[in-house]
Amino acid sequence: MSKLIAQKEGVEYLLMGNEAISRGALEAGVSVACGYPGTPSSEIIESLCRVAKEGNLYVEWSANEKVSMEVAAAASFAGMRSLCTMKQNGVHVASDFLLHLAASGIRGGMILVFCEDPGALSSVNEVESRYFAPMIEIPLLEPANFQEAKDMTRWAFELSEEIKNIVMVRSVTRLSHGSGNVIFGKLPNTKRQAEFRCDGPILDPDTGLVFSAPVVYKHQLQQEKIKRAEEIFERSPFNTYEGPEKPGVLLITSSICYLYCREAISLLGVEDRVGVLKFGATWPLPPSFLKRHLSLTDKILMVEEVRPFLEERVKILAAGMAPEMGIKTFYGKETGHFPSVGELNPDLVVSALGKIMGINSYVGMPADYEKKAQALASTKNPQRDLTFCPGCPHRASFWLIHNALQMDGRRGFVCGDIGCYSMAILSPAGGFGVMKTLHSMGSGTGIAGGFGKFGQFGMEQPVLTVCGDSTFYHAVIPALINAVHHRANMILIVLDNGGTAMTGFQSHPGLTVNAMGEEAPAVDIARICEAIGVKVEIRDPFDLEETRETINRLLEDEEGVRVLILRQICGLSPEKKAAKRYEVRIDEALCLGENCGCNRLCTRIFRCPGINWDRQKKKARIDEVICAGCGVCSSICPAGAIKREEAA
Amino acid sequence: MEDGGMGQRELQREVIDTHLCTGCGACVGLCPYQTSYHDRIILLHPCDIKVGRCYMFCPRTPTNLETMRKSLCEEKDLTPEIGAVKGFYLTRATDEQIRKDAQHGGSVTTLMTLALREGIIDTAIIAEGKENFLHRGVAVNDPAEVKKRGKSKFIVSPTVAEFNRAAKGEAKKIGVVATPCQVLALAKMRLKPVPVDEGNIDKLKLVIGLFCGWALSWRGFMELLRKKTGLDAVVGMDIPPRRHTLEVYTKDGTIEFSMEEVNSCIREACHYCFDTTAEFADISVGSARLPGRWEETRIWNQVIVRTQRGDDLVQLARAGGLLEFREAPGEALDELKKSAMEKKRTALKSIAARSGSSPDLLYLDRFDPVVRMLQG
Repeated sequence: MSKLIAQKEGVEYLLMGNEAISRGALEAGVSVACGYPGTPSSEIIESLCRVAKEGNLYVEWSANEKVSMEVAAAASFAGMRSLCTMKQNGVHVASDFLLHLAASGIRGGMILVFCEDPGALSSVNEVESRYFAPMIEIPLLEPANFQEAKDMTRWAFELSEEIKNIVMVRSVTRLSHGSGNVIFGKLPNTKRQAEFRCDGPILDPDTGLVFSAPVVYKHQLQQEKIKRAEEIFERSPFNTYEGPEKPGVLLITSSICYLYCREAISLLGVEDRVGVLKFGATWPLPPSFLKRHLSLTDKILMVEEVRPFLEERVKILAAGMAPEMGIKTFYGKETGHFPSVGELNPDLVVSALGKIMGINSYVGMPADYEKKAQALASTKNPQRDLTFCPGCPHRASFWLIHNALQMDGRRGFVCGDIGCYSMAILSPAGGFGVMKTLHSMGSGTGIAGGFGKFGQFGMEQPVLTVCGDSTFYHAVIPALINAVHHRANMILIVLDNGGTAMTGFQSHPGLTVNAMGEEAPAVDIARICEAIGVKVEIRDPFDLEETRETINRLLEDEEGVRVLILRQICGLSPEKKAAKRYEVRIDEALCLGENCGCNRLCTRIFRCPGINWDRQKKKARIDEVICAGCGVCSSICPAGAIKREEAA
Repeated sequence: MEDGGMGQRELQREVIDTHLCTGCGACVGLCPYQTSYHDRIILLHPCDIKVGRCYMFCPRTPTNLETMRKSLCEEKDLTPEIGAVKGFYLTRATDEQIRKDAQHGGSVTTLMTLALREGIIDTAIIAEGKENFLHRGVAVNDPAEVKKRGKSKFIVSPTVAEFNRAAKGEAKKIGVVATPCQVLALAKMRLKPVPVDEGNIDKLKLVIGLFCGWALSWRGFMELLRKKTGLDAVVGMDIPPRRHTLEVYTKDGTIEFSMEEVNSCIREACHYCFDTTAEFADISVGSARLPGRWEETRIWNQVIVRTQRGDDLVQLARAGGLLEFREAPGEALDELKKSAMEKKRTALKSIAARSGSSPDLLYLDRFDPVVRMLQG
């Protein structure tokens, strides 16, 4: 049994931040949990999937974030508690529904957990979705440690029911993916009955219609709810102050930066001179609570990652309080004490605080540390690309797309999309650098559909786009329909590797099993395309020559939208992992190495991590531990030196 | 040339980017970095080898033609206009069926099948027409297979690539039917400018060159054809002498294209070509240009024998009664030389226009005696 559903009130467990969030939802009696996978949020739904049966939950990986929020909202309308999760930009996908949901209000407690990625460690953006809270006028909570991740999640449901609106809970990579001790609370024994009551007076929040009109009336209602939340936040135990009665400097912070503040104070040994005002309930910011603490000092340092969200709100409130409270000096992003991009760390807090206090006793990481480390690494370590895994079908697919475009010779290009295959944009000079645009999920097809209409303005370049199977269901379908209807001249290549591979093989609508492991009808991509009126071909990217010829034929065939599905399962998928199709070896007598006729095609251009270059022997070498046995390299070796045999 | 490089980077800069590439296929099949697609040579991936065979074998990288003439031909046979001439004949296949399946007199088909049958070669590399004019070189071992592929192609086939492929295989004695640019590439290989792997070029036992004035660019010609006919309908093409038209034979009759229309589709590289008669072949063959009716002269070929092994084969065909011979009118050779010289002169002008300066003749050497004679 998973510890997540252990009836161990008061017992301390080591949990990952995302698991702590799941536990918090379980302690709140959540019935329905939905999400779309995205780092660093995925483990919340994944861990709930594992306890769905025992915990009597309904858990799904939805087709996209908006749908996930809609399914969760339905649960709330039926009186149950529900959770939906996504990464930071997922909120933008869901935002249209979120806007209207916040206006209609909810019934059962409903929370949106969004996990942000400051520094974009696993993203192509580092957007601050905290701003949705003031924009859409809903409360925002920011846990600052692992215990709070659980406790605030549980409390968020209560808050949601108290104000009858959705509540946003924000995590960040270091909280979601870090682990810490969490003391468990009680798990409820019963689940609510699902019933949608809709026969009452139309404006009745519990039995009437669920919609955002009359708009001005409902908007007024929504703002009263926020006022109520503000009152609750004045007394919230998650907003805390630690430090001396009259601190020389007050740090105001939230989220994981709270831990950086504590560490910085300890490193500088200024516990007696610096206080920390930590906000867990961040929006709406409680003014009285804030004023009490601003009054303790004149110097305030705002510590938060990426945008100055708290800083702006605190300054606005402080401006209003100035006649009574006096004028304070604020330090933060606008004074250049912190960057407005990337992650923070304790050293950055030490440096900013030291500057304000005139202390330079502690030197954290020297300024040139990173430079020195990189210089050292580049001499001692082999160069490592961000590249496709051994056995990855995308390597073969982009090899073929690249070759086909070179052969076609009309400077064709690929509009990229979000998945492991996004890495094709990172190799401009190598064998795969064909991807030239990369934005949000589904945008590759939308953009290609635009490019595909510009023939009348003299555009002669062939236009391709790629998407993964999960991305296809997520947001490609409307863009594809648009392109078909408008007769755009483009090719969509669906890189179907049989799962949501990048985030860890979560299920999607194309598979026969759902998130809870139940049998599910697979929605067939080819049949969807055919129904839209597109001619579809299906190839295996490991059949190099046939597939390359197909791509070239499709490029020649300049009529409307053409779809090619390249189907080959991900090399790391659970069903394929560790199962080598071929044993691969190098016949050194045949290997041409650096000579004219090869010039290390396999290790210089193809660059599968499973093949190494033996500098002494000047021959290629298979790394048997790394090699996944796909056998594609043996098809590209010009000398026939890479031998493959069916694995036993 | 930077750093004296003679590899793919220079090939790209000096040949591909300048549109000098003839699409002959000499750089294809030696390594994985070049391939051919339609009638173009494609650089698939960058190769950083300093001295590569791709550059060394290319007929449009600098070549010392004088050295080549002296090492591959007998000096006494050399003419400035059309290279070595050991003999000049008008011939045609005795076999009427061969003539019918061939472009003109069927002499090339006859000589190639004879060479195969006699074991002079075991593999013949010839161009094969494919649908939509997408031609390729094929290696055949059966004389009957040669006969099926006797028509002129008008669009380049990367025939030398097929030689590169076949030479790596089991073939031991290879004969090639090639256009002048392809013949020049093969001649460059024969001079062994770089240590050639496994002596593959020594397998080349016979080269039959085809007279060539120009080839068409595939994309341009397809567009032109589509204006007047479906591609499926085309059964053959020819250029009758002195009429300034290209005739396209279809199932429904003959369509004529004016030379103005055709000129716009000529492959740019052909404007820079210095050789109409495949000067470094063993035997060169073209259509006859005789006074009188075209219908009658088109079934004859002009044949230049250039080397001893070329002469041996032609004499073998004569002795076996496989080729009919006809006396060549005295002015035929002069006319051939004159038109060859005219082509060279035009090429020099086009090259100077391309390079932007008349001393810079790109792949040609301004101190080459034939070049000097024309510029003198």
